[in-house]
Amino acid sequence: MPTPLELIKKKRAEAVSRIIGKGYLSTKRVYVGMATCEIAAGSKDVMEVFRKAVSLGLTDVYLSQKGCAGRCNLEPTVEVIEAGKSPIKYGKVDTTRAQEIIERHLKKGEVIQEWVID
Amino acid sequence: MTATYRIIVCDGTSCLNSGARTLTTVLKAQLDKHGLTDKTTVSLSGCLGMCDKGPIVVVNPGYTLYGSLTEGDIPEIVEEHLVKGKPIARLAIQEDHLYNRFFRVFGDAKFFGHQMRVTLRNCGIIDPESIDDYLSLRGYEALAKAVTDMTPQQVVAEVEKSGLRGRGGAGFPTGTKWKFTAAQVGTPKYVICNADEGDPGAFMDRSAIEGDPHTIVEGMAIGGYAVGSSKGIVYIRAEYPLAIRRITKAIEDARAHGLLGENILGSDFSFDMEIRLGAGAFVCGEETALIHSIEGARGMPRPRPPYPSVQGLFGRPTLINNVETWANVPVIVLDGANWFRTVGTETSKGTKVFALAGKVVNTGLIEVPMGTTLRQIIYDVGGGIPGGKAFKAVQTGGPSGGCLPEQYLDTPIDYDSLAKAGSIMGSGGMIVIDEDSCMVDIAKFFLEFTQNESCGKCTPCREGTKRMLEILTRITEGKGQAGDIDKLERLGKMIQKASLCGLGQSAPNPVLSTIKNFRAEYEEHIHDKRCRARVCENLVTYEITEKCVGCGACRKVCPVTAIAGGPKKQHVIDQDKCIKCGQCFKTCKFEAIAKV
Repeated sequence: MPTPLELIKKKRAEAVSRIIGKGYLSTKRVYVGMATCEIAAGSKDVMEVFRKAVSLGLTDVYLSQKGCAGRCNLEPTVEVIEAGKSPIKYGKVDTTRAQEIIERHLKKGEVIQEWVID
Repeated sequence: MTATYRIIVCDGTSCLNSGARTLTTVLKAQLDKHGLTDKTTVSLSGCLGMCDKGPIVVVNPGYTLYGSLTEGDIPEIVEEHLVKGKPIARLAIQEDHLYNRFFRVFGDAKFFGHQMRVTLRNCGIIDPESIDDYLSLRGYEALAKAVTDMTPQQVVAEVEKSGLRGRGGAGFPTGTKWKFTAAQVGTPKYVICNADEGDPGAFMDRSAIEGDPHTIVEGMAIGGYAVGSSKGIVYIRAEYPLAIRRITKAIEDARAHGLLGENILGSDFSFDMEIRLGAGAFVCGEETALIHSIEGARGMPRPRPPYPSVQGLFGRPTLINNVETWANVPVIVLDGANWFRTVGTETSKGTKVFALAGKVVNTGLIEVPMGTTLRQIIYDVGGGIPGGKAFKAVQTGGPSGGCLPEQYLDTPIDYDSLAKAGSIMGSGGMIVIDEDSCMVDIAKFFLEFTQNESCGKCTPCREGTKRMLEILTRITEGKGQAGDIDKLERLGKMIQKASLCGLGQSAPNPVLSTIKNFRAEYEEHIHDKRCRARVCENLVTYEITEKCVGCGACRKVCPVTAIAGGPKKQHVIDQDKCIKCGQCFKTCKFEAIAKV
């Protein structure tokens, strides 16, 4: 009989493989803030823009929601995380900015410096 | 352009003492020598919590942690890592603690870099609705460790040793509470999470639950194991629908994974949870009122003792802690009480979450070690006061707290230093006030809130706050009388002493602390009929200055036709007709209307 500690480690390994199965190892991971505050600032529509892009064939992107990171006056926030690169944090992302992040950053790898939270 | 490398130097007290600033100087010189200055950013962070391995330098991208550095190591880091791209294994340290997970993603941004996140460690970096995300970051390992390797007594002892104090506001030692509840014999016992966050402007608990609900579930399960309870209840206000949805889902998912319910993870320990919704009464954040509310009775407090740990929900021993307190528990179990004790001050260990708001550049939710100064919070994290205005005060503890003026900016904050300064830690509201705010008006605002939320059970709170509010109102209306300040002080102290629960005992704090620190403003209102911040409408007159170009915009907008004047001529306000609505002031594009 495995101990609870051994069981939880097994569960963790299973969880990790399920996350990888969902595409976690894609080149770019995109996190969209979806807490009450972010949603009030318009993040649901932003999420929809990213979702639509993925459903229309944007590949090699792992899209996830996230809670509030705490940067209230710059919400909605979106992070683009790529292995071997500094994580990029975008602030005040509306649907127009989201579309541009998809076109310029996700498709062409260009960091849009003026929207970055520094 | 984006820098190729982003280097973070830990600027916590311990690293400072072991030479972090000298390292930074050497580092900058080395970057210069190799022509890397333009391609690299160097920033300082708050304590990273690895004090025994300091000084610490983080190289991003890649989040390489270098520890125990000396000046001699810096040229090697620059040459090998930055120039040749080869991280140095000899100096790198491996860390797999629970706390500060968010730092990997957010640490290089100024606002986040000065924070240390223990309870909000996963907020903003995981999908809160995915139990897999939580499990992948050592989720529920603390619970598994507790039931595998620790007796309930050991868990209680660990929490006690950590020095954790209740984050709901009063700062009662959590371990003591746990010990009392554990010592009670018989079943059932209850474990409650107080998520009835009610301070105006506070949203710490909501964000914590919305961002990382499993942490609360895990913390409560550990609490249940420690005190011998198999039933947990989350009391959360109905105004938080998303938080309710997420914690409900977290409970269901945990159940489906065998992390709640009968024989958790194959052990002898059984524990399950449910949600109870509060209707949004401020007093229900008080533990005995909260318990009454769960029982279906009217949410009113009762005298203590007996304390809930002896006689709580349905008369049974009950362990009740705040959201933030619970979120600390998995970290204490997994990273250890010994680590937890290294963070914070002598009497207050760990970190505190604040909702930073008001007149500050970066508003937001922050978590910093206890002992951080108000100046560090407002200027390093918050980015200072916008518009070049002067700092006036900082309000901590919401409607139960007080306002601290400039002389307290360098006070390291913990439960005791804030109490000594005349305020309280509270649940973590922090409102920055600049010269444009009237302290009497602010005191009135908070008292209006508590007066409104007073449940009415005890006379000092019900009647006393009402009378105090009447006096404050007349002061702001220019009808203040000599002796009003003394009356406010006398009433306030009486309410503090004689009220039944924390609501009344703390309700006069905003008034008393502003009288103590800003007495001159009260006196000006009462005797000179003057409001220096020009906030109190009845004490302000509007005048049109020579900047007026005669555009007529103010004349058109005035609802009582108090403004006269022809085209391109300076307009005049008839003070007898003026109702001080401020419409003209807002409308004028030439800053020609002055508040006097």
